[in-house]
Amino acid sequence: MPVARALLRRLAVFVASLLVASVVVFGLINLLPGDVAGVILGSSATPDAIEALRQQMGLNVAAPLRYLRWMGGLLHGDLGRSALSNSPIGPLVASTLGVTFSLVVLAMIVAVAVALPLGAFSAMRRRRASGTVVSALSQLGMSVPAFLVGLALVMLFAVKLHWLPANGYTPLTQDPLDWLRRLVLPVLALGIVQAAVLVRYVRGAFVDVLNQDYFRTARAVGWTNRRALMRHGMRNAGLQIITVVGLQLATLLVGAVVIESVFVLPGMGKLLLDSVATHDLPVVQAIVMVLVALILAINAIVDMAYAAIDPRLRSQAVSDADEEADE
Amino acid sequence: MRRHWSLYVGAGLVGLVLLLAAVSLFWTPFDPTHVDPEARLLGPSWPHLLGTDGLGQDIFSRALVGARVCIQVGVIAVAIGSVIGVPLGMAAAASRSWPGQLIMRAADIVYAFPALLLAILLAAAKGGGSILTAMTAIGIASVPAFARIARGAALQVLSQDYVLAARASGIGPVRIAVSHVAPNIAPVVLVQASVSFGLAILAEAALSYLGLSAPPATPTWGRMLYEAQQYIFSNPNLALWPGLFIAVAVLGFNLLGDGLRDRFDPTLVEVR
Amino acid sequence: MRRNRWLIGLLLATATFALAGCTNPGVTAPSHQLSIGATAVPDSMDPTTNSNAAIPQALLYNVYETLVKLDGDGNIRPLLAQEWTISNDGLTYTFNLQPSATFSNGDKLDSDAVIKSIQRIQQDASVTAVNKAEMSVVSSVTAVDDNTVKVVLSKPSNTWLYSMTGSAGIIIDPAHSDDLSNTPAGSGPYELRSWVKGASVQLQKAPKYWGTPARFDIVTFRYFSDPNAMNTAMLSGDLDIVSNLAAPQALSQFADTSKYQTIIGTTNGEIVLGFNDSKAPFTDIRVRQAINYAIDRKALMDSVWAGQGMLIGSMVPPTDPWYEDLSQTYPFDPEKAKELLAEAGATDLTINLQVPTLPYATGAAQFIASQLKDVGITVNVSQLQFPDVWINQVMKQGDYDMTIIAHVEPRDIVKWADPTYYWHYNNTDFQNLISQADQTLDQTQYIDLMKQAAKTLATDAAGDFLWLLPSVIIATPDISGIPANAVTESFDLTTIASKSG
Repeated sequence: MPVARALLRRLAVFVASLLVASVVVFGLINLLPGDVAGVILGSSATPDAIEALRQQMGLNVAAPLRYLRWMGGLLHGDLGRSALSNSPIGPLVASTLGVTFSLVVLAMIVAVAVALPLGAFSAMRRRRASGTVVSALSQLGMSVPAFLVGLALVMLFAVKLHWLPANGYTPLTQDPLDWLRRLVLPVLALGIVQAAVLVRYVRGAFVDVLNQDYFRTARAVGWTNRRALMRHGMRNAGLQIITVVGLQLATLLVGAVVIESVFVLPGMGKLLLDSVATHDLPVVQAIVMVLVALILAINAIVDMAYAAIDPRLRSQAVSDADEEADE
Repeated sequence: MRRHWSLYVGAGLVGLVLLLAAVSLFWTPFDPTHVDPEARLLGPSWPHLLGTDGLGQDIFSRALVGARVCIQVGVIAVAIGSVIGVPLGMAAAASRSWPGQLIMRAADIVYAFPALLLAILLAAAKGGGSILTAMTAIGIASVPAFARIARGAALQVLSQDYVLAARASGIGPVRIAVSHVAPNIAPVVLVQASVSFGLAILAEAALSYLGLSAPPATPTWGRMLYEAQQYIFSNPNLALWPGLFIAVAVLGFNLLGDGLRDRFDPTLVEVR
Repeated sequence: MRRNRWLIGLLLATATFALAGCTNPGVTAPSHQLSIGATAVPDSMDPTTNSNAAIPQALLYNVYETLVKLDGDGNIRPLLAQEWTISNDGLTYTFNLQPSATFSNGDKLDSDAVIKSIQRIQQDASVTAVNKAEMSVVSSVTAVDDNTVKVVLSKPSNTWLYSMTGSAGIIIDPAHSDDLSNTPAGSGPYELRSWVKGASVQLQKAPKYWGTPARFDIVTFRYFSDPNAMNTAMLSGDLDIVSNLAAPQALSQFADTSKYQTIIGTTNGEIVLGFNDSKAPFTDIRVRQAINYAIDRKALMDSVWAGQGMLIGSMVPPTDPWYEDLSQTYPFDPEKAKELLAEAGATDLTINLQVPTLPYATGAAQFIASQLKDVGITVNVSQLQFPDVWINQVMKQGDYDMTIIAHVEPRDIVKWADPTYYWHYNNTDFQNLISQADQTLDQTQYIDLMKQAAKTLATDAAGDFLWLLPSVIIATPDISGIPANAVTESFDLTTIASKSG
């Protein structure tokens, strides 16, 4: 029962956080200067025409009322309409979700696939030069901006070698092979940098395991280092690592904004930047809200998973993981 | 010796960046914004140590000023993050009932607005990015990290016997915070500051790449990198230098953070 | 060694995953497809209600047709009107429509559709002010019969027929005009296949086209807000045409003529260093002249735009009939600039230069700031997000000192005659020349008056006409029929062919 109570409490906190965040998003967006109506009508529109469009777009209504209308729409799954094209935002954002999710999920898979073995290796060899080299490489990887890695990959694999397309996107449903080909480089760019960050956590988690008594016992009874680590290490370090991976999904979501720009992928980040440039405020507002809600949801899910798996560990471990993930 | 290599290397790299920034206050070989149509796209040579860019501006002079801007961005961002975050974290630790909870829940919400997202919004609000909007956004976004770190460390200090004793003898919470908690959590905050510094440099570079930070004619490393892109085939060294400087600075601050952590908190040293 | 095998295995698995996409590099698009890279991104599919140049670039003459069109040399040619007559007083235009013309869905394109399209421009509140202004001279439009339309103007206008070749003149299917922002309803050889916002616009051959059928089955316009990304896409073999190389420093990358052809011509894009002419210190002609003398435009073009483009000295591209080389009106002379500033008593000027976030503008701003510093003017450069913030602050509110922007609309010299336009340039001599020119019925006099207007603008140093943007098109060698000079807003697909297709 205490588990259920903890879950419910966390859920309530999530919902409250969402509400506060929505007020913040609405407030920030409505501080933006510039007149959408004016921008839409072009360079020499008459004040009357601008006023008419403002009316039509509901821009003359008081802010609190507009907020309530927006919230009301959100609760019905209605994200509003684009100021530029007047088309509903929901489908627009939905069409970009697939791109961003493909990128983020694949990048996380790459990051884990690279970081897990490297981190374990580095933990086992922590007293040797090879372990230090891995640590140093991970430090180096964390010091290079992801967009620079992306540009370098494009130069090498697309321009010099012609192995892969430089940028662009094909939907999975249209051509699965081309979808993959076009995602390889952005996924690598995002994944490599993330792997560098992850290696450090994996290493830390495994080092903890290596110092535990049961591990020493296993070694003492003649298990190989590797076997002991696979048996005990994975199980015990797993929880910590999963937490970090979960929290890092949020980091990847934001990293995708830049990577989508580098690789001209029609994802959420690119739509956000384009909408800021064209001053399409309702779209900016919707995307920021979706991104923030996703990040809050990821955090809540990680917390709740923790509570469900091991209530005793919950408070301590989650706050530790939070702190580490901030770095 | 091995246990402190990251401290020494980190301090060395950070020192180098600080030195470049300090030098730029007094001297640059050329006016970093002076264009010279006769001396465009020169390779590294005398007197242009690192060559010139597409407008004939001296890259070394620009890199020197870039170091200063980089330090400035980091200092302001870290200042915003720590000045707001640390007292909040300490307050949250002191008050374990609802005010403390509220502070940490608020920090969670701010955490959901990452630096880049905030900077994009602020840049739009200000009608175009500037270093100021970038620094502010990066600073605000780092508040939760400082608050959490400070809270965690403060909780530990507050459970120490001497603090309990001080409390029992009627010393007020503010005095305890100033005389006992602050000095004891300073090392942890310093570590976080070093790490945040590196993140701020990376974030500024990304924002420059998106055209949302420094305006043209301001030599920042991110902006230099952005402008070097179109010469990436013909003159790759234009991109090489700012990329290298960014990596060196970030690596320096990360290593320094690691080294400080090992130094201040021996229990965390993995190589026992 | 044994210990590392699982690690190596994992690394290999990762590598295999990464390379999975590489195994099929030989897949090329079928030859009847065309992929075109462009930098300006369309945010609507309706060129009449949105002034974004990317919309007519993809749709004009391809999806939408006009009564008359502009060919690659700037001449007005028949399109939906097979012929037209102009009355002697220059007021009445009679158009005979192509009897076979239909919309892409097969509906007949008749007088009624033409009348409704023109009236829509005049009456619909959402139509842009530019299009409305172009059509404002029309006093009535009537059907003589099903295939003949008569347009009466309120005063003679030399620019009206010309503007009918652009967005204002598109003929829209009146039966399907309810969602033009997303669904075009035109009569052209192509129809819209798909539009991925911010990424691409795909056109497909219109099966029922009334004229010469389209040469390509599918044409994709791909959009790159970052010109460097467009270059790498071309270099990696992902594009057939780069519609305009917006990072000309990269031109050398396409030097291999066995892989690429480079087509260089002119555009209508005059890059203007605009002064706020009604605001001090720009009210003093000596300050304006000093700035013109202080900037070495040749070196500027060499540095910022790799020497591509043309020095013009006024607001007229060489493809207009009234072009004259005015680039030497104020040759580079910093000493002269200092003298003029001293005469004007403006020895310690500080000026704000607010530029849009566009590559040519930010590059030129650094160069100009440095050269003006050499003559004693301090320039503070700041950038404004383009388009929204720049348009709002500079164009609408006129809140700026100096700015840099390329004016890409055809024959936009007339904008200097509007004292409310953001330059706030108010010269009655110039305004008279422009209005006389528009109303004259004598073509020689028309050209002569326009030449005088262009010269007045240059001499008065109304702005600093930095250089004319080049049209730099990169294409694979098998593509032919691309006009060198970009005189229209359209990327006209009807002239383009591919040898392999």
